[in-house]
Amino acid sequence: MRVSRELSKKLIIGVMLTPAVVVAVLFLAVPAALTILISLTELDYRFKWIWCGLNNYARLLTDPTTRLVVQATAIYVAGTLAFNTLWGLCLALLSTHVHDALGTFMRAAWLLPRVLPSVVWAMLMMWIFSPLDAGFLNSLIINMGGQPVPWTFRYYWPFLFVVNGFIGSSLSAIIFSSAIKSIPPDYIIAAKVDGASSFTIITRIILPMIKWHIAFFVAYNTLSLLASFEYILLTLNGGPGYYTTEVMILRAYHLAFGQYMVAMDFGYAATHVTILLVVGLVLSIAYWRVFRLRRLMIEPKLE
Amino acid sequence: MVKVRTILLYLVAVVVAAVPLVPLGLLFALALSEHPVYVRGLTLANFEFLKTGVLFPGDPHRSKIYPNVYTAAANTLLLALGNMALVTLISSMAGYVISRYSFRGRSALLGTFLVIHGVPASVMLVALYYLLKATGLLNTLLGVVLVKMAVDLPLGVWVLKGFYDGIPWDTEIAALVDGTSRFGAFFRVMLPLVSPGIFSIALFSFLSGWGEFIFVYTFIQSSTNWTLSMLIQSLFASEMGGINLALIAALSVFYLVPVLVLFVVGEKYLVRVTIGGVKG
Repeated sequence: MRVSRELSKKLIIGVMLTPAVVVAVLFLAVPAALTILISLTELDYRFKWIWCGLNNYARLLTDPTTRLVVQATAIYVAGTLAFNTLWGLCLALLSTHVHDALGTFMRAAWLLPRVLPSVVWAMLMMWIFSPLDAGFLNSLIINMGGQPVPWTFRYYWPFLFVVNGFIGSSLSAIIFSSAIKSIPPDYIIAAKVDGASSFTIITRIILPMIKWHIAFFVAYNTLSLLASFEYILLTLNGGPGYYTTEVMILRAYHLAFGQYMVAMDFGYAATHVTILLVVGLVLSIAYWRVFRLRRLMIEPKLE
Repeated sequence: MVKVRTILLYLVAVVVAAVPLVPLGLLFALALSEHPVYVRGLTLANFEFLKTGVLFPGDPHRSKIYPNVYTAAANTLLLALGNMALVTLISSMAGYVISRYSFRGRSALLGTFLVIHGVPASVMLVALYYLLKATGLLNTLLGVVLVKMAVDLPLGVWVLKGFYDGIPWDTEIAALVDGTSRFGAFFRVMLPLVSPGIFSIALFSFLSGWGEFIFVYTFIQSSTNWTLSMLIQSLFASEMGGINLALIAALSVFYLVPVLVLFVVGEKYLVRVTIGGVKG
């Protein structure tokens, strides 16, 4: 009897867990290993494995575009992260300080850009901020007798922060506002009784109490931004000009699948990706440690 | 004094809440516009393509470049439904085992799923392209469905594990004491109890598949396998000079109908996926 129960347990685990493990190995672990292998080759459109050792990495170090790409990545990640965090915080504070129905509606409305297909969102933003006279904002300005503004041509970084930030800040707003809602109301009432202003309550009570949630969001969002390029690809595509908004992962995409079939430089593209994978792995292990440590510290209190 | 501040606060909140709705309103206005580039007048002429699915009936040359709208819509639906079915099925099983059984490698598995989810799989495009080419799945919808499903799966497992964790052990033990097998308890007791979680993941993965662009753009060449996202993007890329933006807007509205309906119906559930996915 005992043996059969042990057996049935193994059977259940086997049957129900295998598909997930197989998918994770086949489509996520194998490609990760394959990426590293490809980065050591000169794999191109002929799909021949020509091993070249660390040549691609040496090329990356001497490539004059590398500096531009790294610079663009830093600006993109830092700017979008700042927009997501700060604006998400504003949304969370605002939506928890008004009537709950309005607050819920507000967060739902801000979730909309995230739910819209990326293509439609990118197209809408390109039309609204188009540098041409036919762009929506410019047509408004011209109608009112003003001079058209070359929006995406001149203000390309703020444009990308807005395009991505409208999507990212919905996530931070939801995380932060649920954290704010879980603060015991006694603290805030007590502060009010003592005569604290709303500003003091926010800076002295609310922000310190949700600082771990903010830290978690910053950590998590840095990782996803390092590897995100869909909205840049759909809007400015690395331009305007010479590699101005070409972030590292977009550079890898262009090297592999760029407009011309002469691209298909899979080996060099994989080198870029490998660097990102290593950075991502190091960061996520560090975060894993930090946030698990915190959970260990907090658990006894809950007992 | 306090009154004025409260009114001001509510005014700001209403304006802020309306901001993300403005682009959507503009899209509808453009789709109904008589002018092909500017928002002017009110007409349904841009939706003419719904009759036959042909975008440029007066221009056979251009019509040949682009697939029929309904073909693209069917492909999009196939991708969305395939993604939904696979992600929901696999993650509802794996989430249960990870939540209810202790076995060797459990925390390693959970950690792997978390790390994989943190590093978006779009970074693997080069390797995935190679794998699909090697297996002959390049330029097929099945290949895109499989890749997409693999990418959405870690989130599904995490969210559903959270839902299973929320159900007290007593419920399951009661069923077992009554003589049900573990499988029976899973199907007849646990699955109905986590149906909100399953609904959340199904909704999320449907919308995720419906809106997918990068994988289709990278892995699909022939236009008969295009999805609506691909069709809209290539129209927009070639018509950016502003030739017929209103038509693209009308097509986008057609593309958005299921998204908006599901968003209104299931917004509450989508929020749960959003939070569950990052709780870690």
